[in-house]
Amino acid sequence: MPAAEVAARVRQSLESVKVSDLENVQLIEVLRMAQQLTDTMQMFFGSLDKSIHAEFNSIAEYIAKTRDEIAHLRPNDIRESRLPGAGAELEALIADTERATETIMSEAEALMISETDDLDAYKMEVSDAMTKIIEACSFQDLTGQRVSKVVSSLKHIEERVARFAQTMGVNDAEATANEKAEEERKAKLHLNGPAIGGPETDQTNVDDLLAMDQDAIDALFD
Amino acid sequence: MAVEMTMPILVVDDYKTMVRIIKNLLKQIGFENVDEASDGTEAFEKMKKKKYGLVISDWNMEPMTGYELLQKVRADESTKATPFIMVTAESKTENVIAAKKAGVNNYIVKPFNAGTLKAKMTAVIGEF
Repeated sequence: MPAAEVAARVRQSLESVKVSDLENVQLIEVLRMAQQLTDTMQMFFGSLDKSIHAEFNSIAEYIAKTRDEIAHLRPNDIRESRLPGAGAELEALIADTERATETIMSEAEALMISETDDLDAYKMEVSDAMTKIIEACSFQDLTGQRVSKVVSSLKHIEERVARFAQTMGVNDAEATANEKAEEERKAKLHLNGPAIGGPETDQTNVDDLLAMDQDAIDALFD
Repeated sequence: MAVEMTMPILVVDDYKTMVRIIKNLLKQIGFENVDEASDGTEAFEKMKKKKYGLVISDWNMEPMTGYELLQKVRADESTKATPFIMVTAESKTENVIAAKKAGVNNYIVKPFNAGTLKAKMTAVIGEF
């Protein structure tokens, strides 16, 4: 029986007790009313117990589902393998590019100060330097492969998190105070970073902006 | 007035490679008296101790950014007249405008080449 109906029956029983003539009541009548009240209360508490039981069942099911979804998220795999792996790849990528840059720049710098009196020796020196520079450029292949691995890990994590958020109906919490402060600092100091696909404003447009007077600049924001 | 090729120049960037690239380009166009700093704080300390003919600074550095350095340089009596070129990957219009309002003398968007650097330096300090 639905809880609302049980509650209505309890109210009805109590009303019936209230309106009874309790001055000249006979024992049988008292017992009848007590029985009626007891039956109703039993029904009420029975229903209450069932509804609590159902509520607990529902909570237990939700907990099991959450645990299942968290297991699917595989947080330990993300924490112990995916993220450290991606971090290691990025560190290796930085090391690869640093090594290549060092080789290329050192060779170029050496050529800039090399003696040119002996043309044959100079030609040999240039040729050796060019070979080393070309070899160093092979870092591009490694970089591409490392970036692909990082992108693959990030996509993997993104898919799992997206599935978890969708299944659990997760809404994003407010940013923390620290996160908000960092965002505000970035906005205040105009820390946007490099644009994807090249500069958002190219050098010619930058020159045009610098040549504008203040009124013209202000008009851009009107 | 002719530009003194021995004038001290301060290059500010947190990436050693970029400092090296700019120093090489400067050397190529004839400037060899170049100091370096890895952020705005270090740069400002150096500027308080030595008078520079030009500052070439990146924008995005920690703890003090190039934008904060520019504001600090312009607010200080002893450094406010120092020519200041921003060399940065920050290419949003708002960045250029903010730098202009803060008193930047020129603005170079990365990546750039020796020709651009020379042209902007000429515009700021004169022919050399």
